[in-house]
Amino acid sequence: MAIEPGDIRRIVTQAAPVTRATMRADIAKMLHEDPEEIGGGDSLIDLGLDSMRAMNLVLKWSEGGLALDFAEFAESPTLDSWWALVEARQSMRG
Amino acid sequence: MDAAHPLTEAQSGLWYAQRLDPSNPLFNTGQSIDMTGPLDREAFAVALAQAVGEADALALRLIDTPGGPMQVIDPAHRPVLEVIDLSRKTDPLAAAQAAIARDMATPIDPARDPLAAERLFVLGQERHIWQQRIHHLAIDGYGMILLTQRVAELYNARRRGTAPGPALPGISVAFAEDATYRASDKRATDGAYWRALFADAPDVASLAPGIPASAATFHRRAVEIDAAAFARLRETAERTAIPWPDVVTALAAAYVGRHTGTPEVIVGVPFMARLGSAAARVPAMLMNVLPLRVDVAGDGDLDTYLGAVAKSLTRARRHGRYRSEQLRRDLRRVGGQRRLHGPLINLLPFDETPRFDGLTNRLEVLSTGPVEDITFTFRLHGTDGLRLEVDANPDLYAVETVEAHTARLAHFIAAASAAGSLADVATATPEEAHRHLLTLNATDHAVPDTTLAALIEAQMRATPQAPALRFAGQTMDYATLDARSRALAERLVAAGEGGIVAVALPRSFDLVVALVAVLRAGLAYLPLDLAQPDARLARILASAQPRLVLALAGDSPRFAGKAEVAAPDSWPDAPAGTPLAGPAPEDAAYVIYTSGSTGEPKGVVIEHRAIVNRLVWMRAQYGFTPTDRILQKTPATFDVSVWEFFLPLISGACLVIAPPDAHRDPLALARIIAEEAITTAHFVPSMLAAFLAEPAAQGLALARVFCSGEELPADLRDRFHRTLRAELHNLYGPTEAAVDVSYWPAGADDTSRPVPIGFPVWNTRLYVLDARGRPQPPDVPGHLFLGGVQLARGYLGRDDLTTERFLPDPFRPGERIYATGDLALWRPDGAVVFLGRSDHQVKIRGLRIELGEIEAAAMDSGLVRQCAVLAREDRGATRLIAYVVAEPGADLSTLKAGIAARVPDHMVPAAILALDELPVNANGKLDRNALPAPDFAGSGNRAPVTPAERKVAELFAAQLQLDAPAMAEDDFFALGGDSLSAVALLLRVREAFGRDPGLGALFARPTVEGFARLLEAEAPAEDLGLAPLIALVEGAPDLPPLFVIHPAGGISWCYGRLARALAPRRTVYGVQAPALAPGVPPPESLEALAADYVARLRAVRPEGPYHLLGWSVGGILAQAMAVRLADTGQKVGIVAMLDSYPCDVWRGEPDPGEAGALKALLAIAGHDPDRLPALALNRASVLAFLRASDSPLGQLPDAALDGVVRVVAGNNRLVRGHFHRRYEGPVLHFRAALDHAGRDLSPAMWAPYAAAVEVIEVPSLHAHLTGPEAVQAIAPVLGKALVAAEKREAATCATAG
Repeated sequence: MAIEPGDIRRIVTQAAPVTRATMRADIAKMLHEDPEEIGGGDSLIDLGLDSMRAMNLVLKWSEGGLALDFAEFAESPTLDSWWALVEARQSMRG
Repeated sequence: MDAAHPLTEAQSGLWYAQRLDPSNPLFNTGQSIDMTGPLDREAFAVALAQAVGEADALALRLIDTPGGPMQVIDPAHRPVLEVIDLSRKTDPLAAAQAAIARDMATPIDPARDPLAAERLFVLGQERHIWQQRIHHLAIDGYGMILLTQRVAELYNARRRGTAPGPALPGISVAFAEDATYRASDKRATDGAYWRALFADAPDVASLAPGIPASAATFHRRAVEIDAAAFARLRETAERTAIPWPDVVTALAAAYVGRHTGTPEVIVGVPFMARLGSAAARVPAMLMNVLPLRVDVAGDGDLDTYLGAVAKSLTRARRHGRYRSEQLRRDLRRVGGQRRLHGPLINLLPFDETPRFDGLTNRLEVLSTGPVEDITFTFRLHGTDGLRLEVDANPDLYAVETVEAHTARLAHFIAAASAAGSLADVATATPEEAHRHLLTLNATDHAVPDTTLAALIEAQMRATPQAPALRFAGQTMDYATLDARSRALAERLVAAGEGGIVAVALPRSFDLVVALVAVLRAGLAYLPLDLAQPDARLARILASAQPRLVLALAGDSPRFAGKAEVAAPDSWPDAPAGTPLAGPAPEDAAYVIYTSGSTGEPKGVVIEHRAIVNRLVWMRAQYGFTPTDRILQKTPATFDVSVWEFFLPLISGACLVIAPPDAHRDPLALARIIAEEAITTAHFVPSMLAAFLAEPAAQGLALARVFCSGEELPADLRDRFHRTLRAELHNLYGPTEAAVDVSYWPAGADDTSRPVPIGFPVWNTRLYVLDARGRPQPPDVPGHLFLGGVQLARGYLGRDDLTTERFLPDPFRPGERIYATGDLALWRPDGAVVFLGRSDHQVKIRGLRIELGEIEAAAMDSGLVRQCAVLAREDRGATRLIAYVVAEPGADLSTLKAGIAARVPDHMVPAAILALDELPVNANGKLDRNALPAPDFAGSGNRAPVTPAERKVAELFAAQLQLDAPAMAEDDFFALGGDSLSAVALLLRVREAFGRDPGLGALFARPTVEGFARLLEAEAPAEDLGLAPLIALVEGAPDLPPLFVIHPAGGISWCYGRLARALAPRRTVYGVQAPALAPGVPPPESLEALAADYVARLRAVRPEGPYHLLGWSVGGILAQAMAVRLADTGQKVGIVAMLDSYPCDVWRGEPDPGEAGALKALLAIAGHDPDRLPALALNRASVLAFLRASDSPLGQLPDAALDGVVRVVAGNNRLVRGHFHRRYEGPVLHFRAALDHAGRDLSPAMWAPYAAAVEVIEVPSLHAHLTGPEAVQAIAPVLGKALVAAEKREAATCATAG
């Protein structure tokens, strides 16, 4: 379910790059937690993340134009794994 | 080939579901992608082959083994792309669509067929359609996306020359995950979570009643959610940090709650079950459906509600891998009506359309699996579009209903997106609200602004000589009524201005004179029932303060010290001519006391304007004329009497007053209706039921009959039209709104179930509103409110009560509405349906129960003369209790089985209480409060009785390894059975009974008694010799056969001896009553039965001549069949009767009832009932006697013997309602010469109905006419007659030739 750049219409309003810190903050907000509570290797499922929230996060991070694949995120739901996926895509673009 | 794997938990449920319904193609999921642009076919084929090569699930083959279903990866089953070139077709698109539809409609057998197909339709150079069809056992919706995206990824990589991403993991990963989870502590924790969560869960309610089993197709309607609304929802999601899909799920659940009317709803939420799993990227069937309990009672602050639902969703997903199929078994919500959730709410928050470079693609999802109930799917498309798709089971939802839900839910979501509270969101769309509140209530009609007194006076002046009243054979003309009522009115006026006059007279001329006089005097009359206790009478007198009581002198002690009495003998006869001012339209016309829920009587004050509207409407609506004769039989204290009294007097018609107390005597009513040529009468439905059962009422003809006061059961309507010739009208209205406010024509062509109360009368409004006063959409129950000119002024002296029930009309400023306390709904056609009182709504297992339907089933058993079914609360459970008055001598032990044969299981009463009579209140309505509470100790513990029940109980116990024996009412699934053990049980059933009714039958009838009944009923009727046409003797094929028609009992075995004695030997067919089989409705008429038999004759023998013979009733049928055959130009051979006499003889005779039917049964079995004086004539002892005797009848199952008794009773009815037509041919009559002592029965009575009657005297009793001696006498004569008829026939043909 790659979302191709050509399909993203809100790209102009979402210019801020995704960083590990923004991802951590976004996850924390979804879980109604403080960002400090999210450890890099913690299972986000154990922290209460569910598939719908995870999918929403992936869609949110895609809005900046990154081609992210939810299926890859689903395999290993931790902040570190996810940041690795995002970083890899960003470097491909960069 | 790989090793075999057991099915995953996710697959098992689908496997059994498909086994249950092998011909259902909806287990195939499918989608098509319409691709426009230059498709590189070769690259596509390579990409597809590679993706399919990775997706092992598509190559699965299922194997049914003794140890349960297994699966292997079979390369031969891996789909290969089929390329279908349609480009040369005239309409390639249509051809492709047709091919796809055909393919999707074809069921597959997962144990035999490949599970998947991949097809590419070539429509042209630049247009292709890629269709995928994969059985749900192999894939779920998310898996389909993974597969499709993978094909696109491989295609694009190949075209671009780049490396594609990693391959899809193999299915073994999913198998391993499943096995790990099954053995894990996590599964135990998850299961415990769900079981705890559902420990106190209510029964599931949905948007439509009925059993949610997927049909082979589904209805689909779709609509776009308003873009601005979707944007607002995403803002709400942002504000509350709840993902927008959860926001939409919560709103859809609230929408469901609006329709179920329950404080909590349980919806199903599909769950992908992949997050954090190694199988996250495996295309396979992993999806689960999570049951979501949602508290919708608050209807309040939106953010609070959304937060609560989001929290439930998060928790549910955390335990979401625990299979819902397992949870159903844990919770024993399997089989019958028990279910885990109602509608499905499916959120797809991503665009599933794949991207193929250089192509424009449009995705259509063809099927996502079985649609058991209704599914609301919300699909994101593009980045900002949200589409709602509603898929629904066509067995449960009409396509119009699906359309309505689609529009209504889209509107509800949009309205909720802009609301702070759900309380501000209406359920109905603005269009629905407009139609219901305004269009359907557009009843404005000009009615003269006058008074009832003025209308009556005008009529009395117009037709002074016409008969106004009839009572006890006497007539009073309008002039006399005018004079006497005026004289009394003058006297009443002289006593003072204004006020109320009580009337406590029995039905008589004086009663009508009194009522008219009070109205003419400008006073309001207050009817009093002297049958009520003194204490109540005193309360009413104290409340109403009548200035005078018009009562018989003999009753004056009842009023001593309370009010002055003026008895009729003291009334003036002639008017003095004093001017009478008369009333004004806004003056009170009458005050009727009704019982309040608290027991304190309330006096309803009705003004002239209100009752004038009601009467003038009725006169116009039904076309009343001076030729009408209207029966007055309702007590004056019941407001139905108001139109009975005054409608004739404003129409110039004749008011026929029934004798006092006749209103409770069906025979007296039948007589007066016939003797007085009544055109119009009213019945409360329960009284109508009693009246229709009265033999003297059969066949009566009136212009019209009105029902009101109680719910009119649909079965009663149908019985009415089988019994009487008259229009039937159902009216509705409380005392608080001038008699009736709505009407419904319940004619013979009306098939409504339930019968509606219909549409508003002139200048009247009906509203069905929810608890917040908002109009309900069609089919959604709400509270019924009334508005318009007919509303009462209020309760006399009780402004507090008046304010409570008469409220400002929220939709018509300045006007009032009355809160009826009744529940109702609008049908889609706008007719209003009454659903009961809001204080005892009847629901069992979330299903609305039609108590009338259960009552009708009990009545049809023939065992009871009256029946009322109530839903009672008992220790938290609602149970149905049937209160019955038994027919004399009836054995009620079979009643429950009789009811169960007619209604769904959930409607079978838990207990049956026999009473000497049903308690009624003063108006003749059932007094529900006076019914005794049942004692439940020991109920539900009936030991199995019939051999089938005992065997089934034994099999249940053996299969489930129960410690205690199973009881008759025990439910296989409630005892712990599941689909697995059900399959094993069916094996045992097949061994024991030689039959397998199938898994579906066990699900539908999971109790010992229910399943046993099914097994008994399944025994084919033919085996027992009870088929409608049986060959008694096979004879020469060239001789036309003889058809012998059954006598009263419906069985024609009795002719066996006669059939064998015929020379030359010829085929003899026995014609038997189809209604012997349970569930076959009784015939409408003897004509209809004869027509049915003729059709059966013609089916076995397309050409005549047809020889017919019948004994007793059989002879009557033979004559009617001969007429029918002649009608259609068929040749009739002989028409022979064994001692039959025309219906005219029997019409006047009382119906022999059940005792007569049982006697006939004994006679059919070869016993002379008159020689068995010691045998009690009730069903139980006669059946026991037959069982003990050597009669073949005694070997019949109970159901068949019941059929015989039913047919005998039915034939008695048919004969009495039959009128012969003339048969233009000879009748051969064998007369029982030793019988008929003291009765004037002669074959000559057939003379008007036949061209000739030849009589053969047989020295026999009627009952012995098929016995050995009689057959010796009859067979030779009959044989010769048959041959002679054929010779005649041949001669005619030769001449004609």
